[in-house]
Amino acid sequence: MARLIMTVDDSASMREMVRATLQSAGYEVVEAVDGQEALDYARENACDLVITDVNMPRMDGITLVSELRGLPHYRLTPLLLLTTESSQERKLEGKRAGATGWIVKPFNPEQLLATMARVL
Amino acid sequence: MTHTKRHAAAEKARYPAAPDNPPPTQQHFAHISRYWDRENQGYAAKLLPGEYYVTTAGERISTVLGSCVSACVRDRRLGIGGMNHFMLPLDASKGSSIWGTAVSAATRYGNVAMERLINDILKLGGRRDSLEVKLVGGGRVLGGIAIDIGARNIEFVRKYVADEGFSVAGEDLGDIFPRKVHYSPETGKLRVKKLNAVRNDTLYERERHYLEVLDRDPVGNDIELF
Repeated sequence: MARLIMTVDDSASMREMVRATLQSAGYEVVEAVDGQEALDYARENACDLVITDVNMPRMDGITLVSELRGLPHYRLTPLLLLTTESSQERKLEGKRAGATGWIVKPFNPEQLLATMARVL
Repeated sequence: MTHTKRHAAAEKARYPAAPDNPPPTQQHFAHISRYWDRENQGYAAKLLPGEYYVTTAGERISTVLGSCVSACVRDRRLGIGGMNHFMLPLDASKGSSIWGTAVSAATRYGNVAMERLINDILKLGGRRDSLEVKLVGGGRVLGGIAIDIGARNIEFVRKYVADEGFSVAGEDLGDIFPRKVHYSPETGKLRVKKLNAVRNDTLYERERHYLEVLDRDPVGNDIELF
């Protein structure tokens, strides 16, 4: 069965690009528009990996990561942040929250897929 | 008093001297050039290709566009916002075609140019549903390059704005002229002056250089696993 990846971003264009990239590699994709929607979905459903933006309304990506780490079925799930933010402070916040990795936009599709393959 | 001196004094009365320093701005905008705009009695930021600027201090933003485009975005409730200045890289050398146009290097680059601007406004308290968008630029001005770069930039920015669900409050796009643009995020007013198409070698040189840099730099290279 194809692995299920959740992509979380408040930008429809960005969700579209991530989805197209993941589907081209055979992944199944579920989308959420902010951290809160992602968390609501995750409470009821397991995913194999989550790729989330940082700056979003209602719940940001770093809060989402720490909330997900509090769910028993997301303790070991790879959680990648995909963001325009590239400062060391923000990266450190992501790392402390329990993120697996940090990818700065614009992403390179080949490298995104290679990174996912490494952590899955 | 000579005529010139009197004239200077009158000018001075009409246009008081600039405050010593421009208003404070965020650290990531420290490199953006700002000048005292006498006519409007306020500071203005001047954007070069690839730059963007967001202000909450009532500053204006100006730039000169050839085939590049600028999105002018503001939160109309708060009167804060900004402008970018970008073009899409030529995609030929990037070879991302197996993912189709949705994920081409050009699209990814354009997306980020738009997202940085919008995110900064949202971080300052703006809300997606009260954003007002105006689009400008994309003239057919770069001779010698086979494809119409301006048209490509226009197509991208229009699609991006539509995909994101924003409506366009105003636009001045296409045609064959370079444009000098002044935008006030506080009021939303966008002033466009069409420039002489043949006397802008500096502008064309700058845009060509920007395009070369874009073409050399790989799009997307920064990944860190913790």
